[in-house]
Amino acid sequence: MDPAAGSNFPRSTMRSKLVVAAIALAVAATAAFGGGYFVYVLNLTGIFALVAIGLALLTGFSGQISLGHAGFFAIGAYASALLAQRLGLPFWIAIPVAGVLATAIGALVALPALRLKNLYLAIATLGFGIVTQKMIFEWRTMTGGGGGLQVPTPMLFGLSLAEGARMTGVIAVALAAGTWAAYQLARGRTGRALTMLRESETAAACTGIQVARYKVVAFAVSAFYTAVAGGLYANLVRYINPESFNVNMSIMFLAMIVIGGMGSVGGALLGAAFYVIVPEALRGFKDAPGLIFGLSLMLVVILLPGGLASLTRRFSKASA
Amino acid sequence: MISELIIGGLASGSLYALIGIAIVLVLQATDVPNFAQGEMAMFATFVAFSLLTTYHLSWWLVLPLTLAFAALQGIVVQQVVIRPLMGAPIMNAVIATLGLNMALHSVAGMIWGNQTNVFASPVADLPVFKLFGVNVSPDSALTIIVSLVMVILFTLILSHTRAGVALRAASQNQQVAKLMGISVNRSFALAWAMGSVAGVVAGMLVAPILFLDVNMMGPLLIKGFAGAVLGGLSSLGGVFVGGLLLGVIENLMGAYVSGSFGEALSFLLIIVVLIVAPAGIFGRVKSQKF
Repeated sequence: MDPAAGSNFPRSTMRSKLVVAAIALAVAATAAFGGGYFVYVLNLTGIFALVAIGLALLTGFSGQISLGHAGFFAIGAYASALLAQRLGLPFWIAIPVAGVLATAIGALVALPALRLKNLYLAIATLGFGIVTQKMIFEWRTMTGGGGGLQVPTPMLFGLSLAEGARMTGVIAVALAAGTWAAYQLARGRTGRALTMLRESETAAACTGIQVARYKVVAFAVSAFYTAVAGGLYANLVRYINPESFNVNMSIMFLAMIVIGGMGSVGGALLGAAFYVIVPEALRGFKDAPGLIFGLSLMLVVILLPGGLASLTRRFSKASA
Repeated sequence: MISELIIGGLASGSLYALIGIAIVLVLQATDVPNFAQGEMAMFATFVAFSLLTTYHLSWWLVLPLTLAFAALQGIVVQQVVIRPLMGAPIMNAVIATLGLNMALHSVAGMIWGNQTNVFASPVADLPVFKLFGVNVSPDSALTIIVSLVMVILFTLILSHTRAGVALRAASQNQQVAKLMGISVNRSFALAWAMGSVAGVVAGMLVAPILFLDVNMMGPLLIKGFAGAVLGGLSSLGGVFVGGLLLGVIENLMGAYVSGSFGEALSFLLIIVVLIVAPAGIFGRVKSQKF
């Protein structure tokens, strides 16, 4: 399973900045004027975009595949919810702490992953996801098991974030910070090392890149992003259930970054938007959402091998 | 007790093995892990169900018709969905099979509905028999025997027929295979047809044991992947043993260690095995060109 070849984050910085600005504007406009439903869709898109950026750092950059990211998402959701519920921590402390916890777990998961490739790695990470979900199910005294868990309403400066579009602001800040950090990481020494790792591990090792160290870093960073997104998700929906953090979710995360285009932040946003909005838009078709979503997945990868992000690139080439 | 658990494990394990073999046949040839394998098998099993119940055909007619449908299905999928993606990153093909998986699931729901159906077993009338003092249900016996026959059959096809040898050549090096006059496209279509046939055989074996519904193959697909990886993806024999091992381990873990953690424990075990043997138990690491 080779990831999309020739992808690298810092390719179109200017356009990405424009994309980010446009998104920010759209967020602000929707938050100000849009109805509750639009805000909800927008929030989910922002959260899954964070996951897509994190997964793109792992799969798009270092070329490692993961089918266990729903596990990190669940860890972020549950850890932040429990920190808020049991210790009374405010959400803006609970979510980063949950992220750090997931980072540590991500580094641990990376250790067996060091020797594995392709489908072997996919199945090992899939196992991690399944074990994590099972543990949440069975650790009833802590997590509430299959009955789910109520998450305390997040508060900021004495204001409840459950009302209106206040959560959108929080998600937008997190997404902006995450995007900026991903650019810094991708542009710097780490990004170059990871790109090299993807192209050839042997060549990377020959040029003095510590393969093991960077693989662990990629896993850990990716886990952090995904867990923070999970924490935001828990605070947004305020009721979480282990049922939803299943293998399907991990697979859809992967689909998201391929659909969007693995190499760019804009691609991550587009992939997340596709993943959230297309099923929502298809709700009207009574029997067919699965059929149309499945067909559109096939059509996108067949007609746009570089993902949705390559569409904007094609447009800009045509106009130039 | 333990021998019954092992027999039960072998029966479910041979289903994992069949799905695993279906996946590996396609994976070896075209490098694509086929996530649609489960729903392709489910769809073809429903076709068999319709032939049996709606059209009241006999098993002897339904069996060849279904196998032919499955082979055709594999070829159509390869030609329509996978062929345009040759040369693109493998991840694209993976996502395409994923999309196909959803589409087939949805279409099957539209045609046959979402209720569970009873799929009569061809050996339903036979009594439970004793083998070396162990009770064996005819369904388990049939499952184990049929999957064993399938593995041997596929191995023979790959090693002893012109088409099989051509397929192996095409999967090793497409350029050279083309220069030798092999139609790579036709070989890959054969691989997808064989994979699809292995899948529907697993589907028809599992449907009488569980029930027939559109969600039947989801868990089986994951287990098929896991069993194949456990055994190592390089030989059909290895995949077969890996599937059987997974089935037996799962059954024993479920009974002796923890009923609810059975599945999680077997995946933990797979992770441990992969740490020790990163290419599965019987796997050989493919040599890599630089």
